[in-house]
Amino acid sequence: MSLRIIGANLIVSIKSFYREKTAVFFRLAFPVLLILVFGAIFMNQDNMHFGFYVQDLDGTNSSAELVKTLELNEKFKITRVDPAINATQYAKDNKLNLVVVIPKDYEKSLIQRVKRKDLDASATITYIYDPSSTSVATKMQVLNVVFAEINQRMSGKPPFITPAEESILNRKYRFIDFFVPGIIAMSVMTASLFGAVNVNAELRQKGVIRKLSTTPITHTDWILSNVMYQFLLAVISTISILLVSYAVFDVSLQLNFWLPVFVVLDVFAFVGIGMILTRVAKEAESAAAAANVIMFPMMFLSGTFFPVEMMPGFLQKLSRILPLYYVNEGLRASMIFVDNMVALRCSVIIGVFAAVVFVLGMMTTKWEEG
Amino acid sequence: MQILTKEAEHVIDVEKLTKRYGDLLAVNDISFTVRKGEVFAFLGPNGAGKTTTVEIIETIRTPTSGKVSLLGMDVTKKKRKIVRRIGVLPQEFSSFDRITVRETIQYYSRLFNCRNADIDGLIELANLKDKSKEQFKNLSGGLKQRLGIAIALVNNPDVVFLDEPTTGLDPRARREVWDVLLGLKKKGKTVFLTTHYMEEAELLADTVAIISRGSIVAMGSPEELIERNANYLALTLQSVDEKVFEIVQKMGFEPVKANHNNIKVRVQHPDDVQKILNTIKDAGASFLSLDVRKPNLEEVFLKLTGAALREDLAGGVAQ
Ligand SMILES: Nc1ncnc2c1ncn2[C@@H]1O[C@H](COP(=O)(O)OP(=O)(O)OP(=O)(O)O)[C@@H](O)[C@H]1O
Ligand SMILES: [Mg+2]
Repeated sequence: MSLRIIGANLIVSIKSFYREKTAVFFRLAFPVLLILVFGAIFMNQDNMHFGFYVQDLDGTNSSAELVKTLELNEKFKITRVDPAINATQYAKDNKLNLVVVIPKDYEKSLIQRVKRKDLDASATITYIYDPSSTSVATKMQVLNVVFAEINQRMSGKPPFITPAEESILNRKYRFIDFFVPGIIAMSVMTASLFGAVNVNAELRQKGVIRKLSTTPITHTDWILSNVMYQFLLAVISTISILLVSYAVFDVSLQLNFWLPVFVVLDVFAFVGIGMILTRVAKEAESAAAAANVIMFPMMFLSGTFFPVEMMPGFLQKLSRILPLYYVNEGLRASMIFVDNMVALRCSVIIGVFAAVVFVLGMMTTKWEEG
Repeated sequence: MQILTKEAEHVIDVEKLTKRYGDLLAVNDISFTVRKGEVFAFLGPNGAGKTTTVEIIETIRTPTSGKVSLLGMDVTKKKRKIVRRIGVLPQEFSSFDRITVRETIQYYSRLFNCRNADIDGLIELANLKDKSKEQFKNLSGGLKQRLGIAIALVNNPDVVFLDEPTTGLDPRARREVWDVLLGLKKKGKTVFLTTHYMEEAELLADTVAIISRGSIVAMGSPEELIERNANYLALTLQSVDEKVFEIVQKMGFEPVKANHNNIKVRVQHPDDVQKILNTIKDAGASFLSLDVRKPNLEEVFLKLTGAALREDLAGGVAQ
């Protein structure tokens, strides 16, 4: 092993990289774009889910207080509708799925009931809603619960059953928190896999490897150079993914030593697979095709874009044999749930896998043609 | 006078080398030596076994049997030491697409740990000064080969191997590569060259070995080979007159009709040419032009290998 030779290879790799604009795009910009696009989509959906419209026809202090209660500590985002307009028409025109109408004389009825104990005094809150919307039923249910609680409190009797909440997570996580570790694992995987296929198949086909084998560089130097290069790119790409995630979506992810551990294991595992592929498939094109065949199921079935629990049972079983699944699980265990045991278990599984395929890869790619 | 060691005399020593690929006998029991300072050319058609032989000497293929030593070292045992002392231009040389000429030379000099490699000198030698900032993918075939030659020299090697340095190049680019190689020859480098081209071997080589189907069929200096194997003159007459052919035939020669109304005749002496011309004149026949040539390596080659060597075929065949 020679550091000077590895350094020379790194210089060539890095220069080749930044001179190839499409490589820069796919390696660095593409994962960031994925984060931005998916993050924006799901952010928006979150807002839509928890928002509705209120038309306050009463316009009094009491009605304003009710609206405030409905916001439920800002869990709901409430938009006001002008009391002067026809709420039904407005909802139709603007495709609003729920407008809650507080009736005129709401305050008057309230005072009647509370001060005068007049049981005939009541208020009717109207839901103007779009039944085709999937989220509206949930919103209405939540509102019903809120109103039931108000009614119950006004009755003056203490509730018999009170629910207590206990989360199995340390804190609530959003889709984007789930998504970012998946994208880190995926972008490291694709780059390492295709990087290994390219250097080993393409350069071999072009005869560059043959020329190199007449110089003092050894096979080990060459492979180590490629692993170092992939690791360097993985670090740059992971940092840029994280920076964007924090800056744009204010993710709350834990950064600890597991992150570099999983990135390194991800690199070794997929550089190893790439080396084996180039041995199995002789031509550069077929090796690249084989890499695609491996990459796509891995991307969609190992929980990169959505939790594997969303898939049917047999696919869930399948995902358990995909190496990327353990990188995803391990990264999420460390970055979201801060669960060191799960992270350790995943790192051992992917670590053993990486060691086996990497050694196999080194053994199967020879320089001499015999 | 200095006593020459074996290494100084014989830079390359190949004894009974054989290489099989499965059932295919690619190199069949060949032996030869290359002296220090000479340009040695391996001349042979596609598939003759040139690359196989060179790459065995370069330590990157393993022989089936036989002994090959380079600079006094066994090529199957001293790979690490040998690669530091040789320079190689592989067949169909290629390099990193987006790395410039200068950077590529720098890269290879780092591999050899040549901190004081004369990169400018190499660029000058390969005549690449205007192109030193050009990326490899933008170079023409001839420039790529010249860069390959420059790279083969970064470690100031004792022996330079050039596997078909001009195959696939147009005549002008080929001449430009030859200029670079003549410069090497002038410097007294030991060069092992393989080629399809007779002119190339004739122009550059001190010793030529003609290899055909894995065997060396002739070896010697170009002059010796021609003397030994093609000791005749080739007379070509261009004539529209049918009589000319008959006249020459009647004189006891063996004329051959070629295209463009050409008639080719092999004769032993310049006197024979005179005789033929006189006889034609006396018979009142006429010809448009004539050409008398000493045969070149091409004739020798065709005679010895019995294979037509068509340049168009030779140019583009890849392994
Ligand atoms: N790695 C290999 N495996 C199997 N057969 C091979 C291998 N390399 C070469 N051959 C065969 O060995 C024979 C000699 O090949 P070689 O490449 O040495 O010829 P060459 O003289 O260099 O030809 P060319 O002028 O086309 O480069 C050919 O028939 C070729 O097909
Ligand atoms: Mg060859």
